[in-house]
Amino acid sequence: MRKIYLLKNLLLMVSLMLCSFTYAQSISGTVSDASGPLPGANVIVKGTTNGAITDFDGKYTLNNVGADAVIVVSYVGYISHEVNVGGRSTVNVTLQEDASQLDEVVVMGYSTQTRGDVTGSVASVDTDEALKAPVVNASEALQGRVTGVTVVNNSSPGATPKINIRGFGTSNNTNPLFIIDGVQTDDPNILNNINSADIDQMNVLKDGAAAIYGARASNGVVIITTKSGGYNMDKAKISVDMYTGISQIANAPDLLNPTQHADMLWQSMINAGVTPSHPQYGSGSTPFVPGSIQGYRRVISYNPIVFGDNFNATTKVGGTDWIDAITQDAPTSNVAFSMENGTESGKYFMSVGYLTRDGIMNYTGFKRVTSRLNSEFKIKDKITIGEHLNVSYSNTKSGVGEAIEMALRMTPLLPVRDDAGEYTGVAGPGLGNTRNPAAQLYRSDNDYNKRISIFGDVYLQYEILPELKFKTTLAAGMNTFDRRSFTYLDPEHGEPISENSMNEQDQTSYNWSWSNVMNYNKRFDDHSVNALVGVEALKDGGKGKGISRSGYLFEDPDFYLLNNGSGTPSVDYAYDGYNSLFSVFGNVNYSYLDKYYLSGTLRRDESSRFLGDNKSDIFPSASVGWVVSKEDFFGTDGFIDRLKLKASYGELGNQTLPANNPTINISGLSESQANYSFDGSTITQGAILSQVGNPNLKWETSVTTNFGAELTMLDGALSLTGEYFVIKTKDLITRDFSLISSTAIDAGAPLVNLGDIENRGFDFSLGYRNQTDSGFTYAIDANISHYKNEVKNLISSFVSGRGDLRNGAVTRTEVGEEMSYFYGRNVVGFTNDGRFQYEDVNGDGTVDDDDRTKIGSPHADFTYGINLNLGYKGFDASFFFNGSQGNDVYNYNKVFTDFPLFVNGNRSTRVLDSWTPSNTDATLPALLNSGTNNESSSNSYFVEDGSFFRLKNLQLGYTFPTNVAEKMGADSFRFYLQGTNLFTITDYEGFDPEIVAYDNLSLGIDSRIYPNSRIMSIGVNVKF
Amino acid sequence: MKQKFIYLIMLVGLLTACNEEFTESPAVGALSDAALQNEAGVNLMLTGAYSTLDGVRANGFGNGWSISGDNWIMDVVSDDAHKGSTDGDQGDLYQVETFDWSTGNGYFYGKWGVTFAGINRANAVISLINGIEEGDFSAQLAEARFLRGHFNFELQKIWGNVPYISEENYNNSEFNQPNPGPIWDKIEADFEYAANNLPSTQGSEVGRPTSWAAKAFLAKAQLHQGKWSSALTIFNDVINNGPYDLLPDYVDNFRLAGDNSVESIFSIQFTADAGNAFNGNTGGALNFPNPGPFGACCGFYQPTQDLLNAYQTANGLPLLDTFNQTDVTSDYGINSSEAFTPYAGELDPRADYSIGRRGIDYNGYGVNPGKDWIRAEFADISGPYLSRKNVYWNGETDNMATGGWGQQHSGINYHIMRFADVLLMGAEAAAESGDIETALGYVNRVRNRAKNSNYVQAVDGSGDAANYSIEPYTGFSGQDEAVKAVRFERRLELAMEGQRLFDIRRWGNAPQIMNAYFANEARTIGNFGTKVNPYTATYDRFPIPVSAIDLSGNVLTQNPGF
Repeated sequence: MRKIYLLKNLLLMVSLMLCSFTYAQSISGTVSDASGPLPGANVIVKGTTNGAITDFDGKYTLNNVGADAVIVVSYVGYISHEVNVGGRSTVNVTLQEDASQLDEVVVMGYSTQTRGDVTGSVASVDTDEALKAPVVNASEALQGRVTGVTVVNNSSPGATPKINIRGFGTSNNTNPLFIIDGVQTDDPNILNNINSADIDQMNVLKDGAAAIYGARASNGVVIITTKSGGYNMDKAKISVDMYTGISQIANAPDLLNPTQHADMLWQSMINAGVTPSHPQYGSGSTPFVPGSIQGYRRVISYNPIVFGDNFNATTKVGGTDWIDAITQDAPTSNVAFSMENGTESGKYFMSVGYLTRDGIMNYTGFKRVTSRLNSEFKIKDKITIGEHLNVSYSNTKSGVGEAIEMALRMTPLLPVRDDAGEYTGVAGPGLGNTRNPAAQLYRSDNDYNKRISIFGDVYLQYEILPELKFKTTLAAGMNTFDRRSFTYLDPEHGEPISENSMNEQDQTSYNWSWSNVMNYNKRFDDHSVNALVGVEALKDGGKGKGISRSGYLFEDPDFYLLNNGSGTPSVDYAYDGYNSLFSVFGNVNYSYLDKYYLSGTLRRDESSRFLGDNKSDIFPSASVGWVVSKEDFFGTDGFIDRLKLKASYGELGNQTLPANNPTINISGLSESQANYSFDGSTITQGAILSQVGNPNLKWETSVTTNFGAELTMLDGALSLTGEYFVIKTKDLITRDFSLISSTAIDAGAPLVNLGDIENRGFDFSLGYRNQTDSGFTYAIDANISHYKNEVKNLISSFVSGRGDLRNGAVTRTEVGEEMSYFYGRNVVGFTNDGRFQYEDVNGDGTVDDDDRTKIGSPHADFTYGINLNLGYKGFDASFFFNGSQGNDVYNYNKVFTDFPLFVNGNRSTRVLDSWTPSNTDATLPALLNSGTNNESSSNSYFVEDGSFFRLKNLQLGYTFPTNVAEKMGADSFRFYLQGTNLFTITDYEGFDPEIVAYDNLSLGIDSRIYPNSRIMSIGVNVKF
Repeated sequence: MKQKFIYLIMLVGLLTACNEEFTESPAVGALSDAALQNEAGVNLMLTGAYSTLDGVRANGFGNGWSISGDNWIMDVVSDDAHKGSTDGDQGDLYQVETFDWSTGNGYFYGKWGVTFAGINRANAVISLINGIEEGDFSAQLAEARFLRGHFNFELQKIWGNVPYISEENYNNSEFNQPNPGPIWDKIEADFEYAANNLPSTQGSEVGRPTSWAAKAFLAKAQLHQGKWSSALTIFNDVINNGPYDLLPDYVDNFRLAGDNSVESIFSIQFTADAGNAFNGNTGGALNFPNPGPFGACCGFYQPTQDLLNAYQTANGLPLLDTFNQTDVTSDYGINSSEAFTPYAGELDPRADYSIGRRGIDYNGYGVNPGKDWIRAEFADISGPYLSRKNVYWNGETDNMATGGWGQQHSGINYHIMRFADVLLMGAEAAAESGDIETALGYVNRVRNRAKNSNYVQAVDGSGDAANYSIEPYTGFSGQDEAVKAVRFERRLELAMEGQRLFDIRRWGNAPQIMNAYFANEARTIGNFGTKVNPYTATYDRFPIPVSAIDLSGNVLTQNPGF
């Protein structure tokens, strides 16, 4: 027996030795993430302690690995990944970031928290993914990617997007507070001045978590931290990102050609009982499209203006497509360079960027140069000093606001240029009254809006004790704005400008803040405490003026100085002022066993904007969290890895107002509106009340309640979060146009506390990511948000929206309804003579203003975003879809394109489906040559379904294998193709269903927009 | 360690201590309520109230051309004028002229808004004065009340049922007041106060009203209510004892020479200053020939054929009953390149100072060529004539100014009331009271001035430009004829001065006059007849703008019929 045992042992040993000779081997490979090699990742053979850590280039080597072994690759913030070795000697692994990122450090403003500890509603943007799209303004990255956040841009390059978080809690400003490193502002335009490649983290505080920012937090807080470099790097990391591409108009409306236009005019005259005749289209039973413009004229001399008719304009066969005439395939390109490095005692990040984005409308565009330097130094052991500095220059060429409306209305008969090559105009008969939009845009080419923005902060942190730190931060910013616009002579126009003129505007704004924060952070066994107290002072001011002067000898930009005009200069406006805020705040976060969390915040703010007792207020908030999955009863082998429940309550303020001194009456001198002559020659100076004050104005307060759950499943591959919120906004601040109504003095209406509004809704997001053994990675992130808005209380029975539209306001806000619903007549069909038949709402037998009713809602049932990422070997693809469901849009542009307000102007092809006795199931009423029957007043014809589903961004990339990249002298090298706004599925008939609100009492009105663009680009990311 | 804490606490303390001052921010460049509590402040605000006479308000709404203080829009609504230009140009005004009125029309809302701006700027002055304890501000108070009376009078004439916003309402920001009916008593009270407290002369500051002006306005307010005898008493006083007289030459009322003349009672002091000429007639900027002998904007405000027909005379007297059965020859439908012979029949000489027509010198710019100076097409409703009283004369550069884009900001004063108007109102009050002799005297005084004025001359120096003929009435057969003659004389004398609409409304015969006018006009402008809707008494008041009702929270009530 003994021998047998011995033999067995021997055989076993041999076989083991054989095995190890045959199968046990050494493997190596590279661990990387989507952006390149990943240094410091753990690679371990499953079930053993045999492991390695990747080096700076992401490389590892493991000895003694069995052929059928499984290696586990992990890294903080990434989903651990298991791979069967399968006999290979090289195993490369790409890790995917973990959506739940429990250990990620989240910057919360004055402090940081790890993701797993957060009890408020804090959403983080995957900046790598979100900033893939060619954005100009980094806040565009929030769109569709963060639940409950909507971002709408009007597509004009350099325009400021409109952001709002969790519905419309206010009729006032909805801009969230932006914290960019140490700089605080609620001006979203600041993000136009930042190179988006500099951004490291974007976090959005949506509930009571924002209470630490007290009086400015009720619209939420967006916290942006920029890249900072790392300590102890062994060499500088250089990154170069470039793309170049083309923007094109995404969707152009169909307008009439000259034949259709003439037929439309003919039918209009016939319907009006007038014998058809037209200066261009002749007279008789059928119109005739002329080969050249009849009676074409231009100004031949000024002062007095004399028109000459010795000109010809040959019409274009098939007519002029004016939208085409003012739009272009616009080049866009961007170069961003950054470098970071760090030693034991210092680190830095620096970048420069250049972006140029021509607009799809001719002669519009945006150019920007940015540079940034972030650095931090450790001085001795206990002191850290650092700074962030962002300097940018930009020039926005915004073109002419009305050009798109002009292009919609310009007669298709006129060619863009006449036979002599000059721009044509409507000086001839029967051509309408539009200005030539191609000429308008051409003449705006030398206009500019230049901005120099400098902002940043310097901070010092002193470690009094390891657990007690004091930090003082001084942040400041300055913006200078320099605008020039020149009004040229327009000899082609029927109402020609008789004198050229130039307008110059200079504005400077500044802000500074100084915050001092003491932070205490200590763990006692199972208890962990993180607390802070701080004081902060901030000031925000600005000064500016605008001056106009006429009579320039030459229309040449080399000549454009105010002193070269000959008219009397006119000061159009001038202002100077500031507001200030002083705050004391504190916050305590406590956790027990990393299972139970408790957090409380208190902030007292004192604002220069209010008076007396209203000047200051206290904003408290509290939140709790419970990691249920850590309880014993939960077990560890269930389907769910982690379950956390959380709840928060907070009171937040909104003191951002469009006035520095809203509490007092302000009267002032006014050259244009208050002066008068008592003897018919000399002018006497007068004054008017320009602003009605409201001494009782007080803070707008939002009380927010949030309940949330976070779930991770399938070893972290699947994550789900859901939150339910109720936001009650009290005393919401708005201008009271019912107080300063039409029968009042012509002063600015006072800001008042208008009433209360409630938003309730949910945000829901889901993420799943996985990787197949073959190395195919895929991830899907989806989010959906819903809110229900209700007005609870108002100081007047209802409030109307913007009053500057033709025929009055189209939105109304009243108690028990959503804010800003569409209000007007309801079209139910056609009368026997082809006019709109309106619903007799009150049933009194006549239709009048009392029969106006709710005809639509600008509020979506839900909005959503879907992000899909695929990767295989060096290839990656990402798709980003977003959409909105169930909201209506008031297509105000139809006033011009569908109705005869400007009878000789062009119209939409919708008029081809006008009512006739034989076409009673028509889109539009019977054609006429003037408006009638309130058909262009607010009515349901203008209200359209604004739901849409859009492929917002598609990117296809390829990363060269490391060895190839190295041959090219780079650590990594990726190139990509990208498309933005590739398709949109919508029934909306206007340019674009995403509407930038004019104000919050006038939501969803589409008027005078800049067409949306589709951008195709190609780019590279190289790291050295 | 302790020390460091103390430093920190001191730092916090320092910040807290500073903060009281830190969170005060002054309103830079603004006049506070306290700063206005003195004579300089009152005068500044009072000037600001006068400044709304021209129809310009801050943060304006509605249509920007509807606001003009010269009320040209009111002539467009009446039988005196067409809107001018092409039908599609200012479509809202086309709807006003063709009586296709909607409550949302921007022309109604604009005029409404600027009138209330004027009322409340006056209220601001009254309220300011009431809050100052020392000093005598009775003159300024009287001026402010006169202005408020004027603006309320405008409101009353245009809308009929209007809210009254008192200085107490103003003080308490109670601007939403109901509009149950007319507010004549309030208007009369303001004019009465002004008549009792204004000086009888304003020295060189002729743009301010005098006690005589206030009396004339008071009497006009009474005339509108049919209070004939008390109106007549006041008119007689103003005519016999006041400082006013007719200018020797009719046309001087509309020329530089007539600015603030002996005939002027209260005028908007339009001033063609340098720069953008904010004090020029900005609301009337559209009303110049386009194209024309100067400038280029915009061919609006064209007199009607019906008005021209009214100037026909027989033996120097108007055709009171038959003027609209025959037409003065028009060049409608005739291009400038085609031949045209102007009318050779008898015409009141005032015709060619009120209406620009082909073949006659146009304000010194030479012979009007007809169609070439008309922006409207033949297919439009606007006809072949040009306005003249609002257009400055060749060479009178002191009245010429341009705005920011080169539009015309005329400096010609607009007479809210001139002495000829007072004479005719006096004549009307007399005729209605049965005092036919007085009526005859006053009417003939106006006619004789016209007769003895210079007539428009032919450009070639051959004499009168047309066959002018005007004579005073020898007598009236009775009260009916007196009333008819007085009313007719108002149209002839005050044509294109923003008065006509309110006359035909208060006479109560607007539907007859307007529908007759539609028929008369359609003989010349064929389109007009098919495009215009029949006039009913509903149109005697403008609709209360729907936006105004909405903003008032339905405190305002719509006028009947809308």
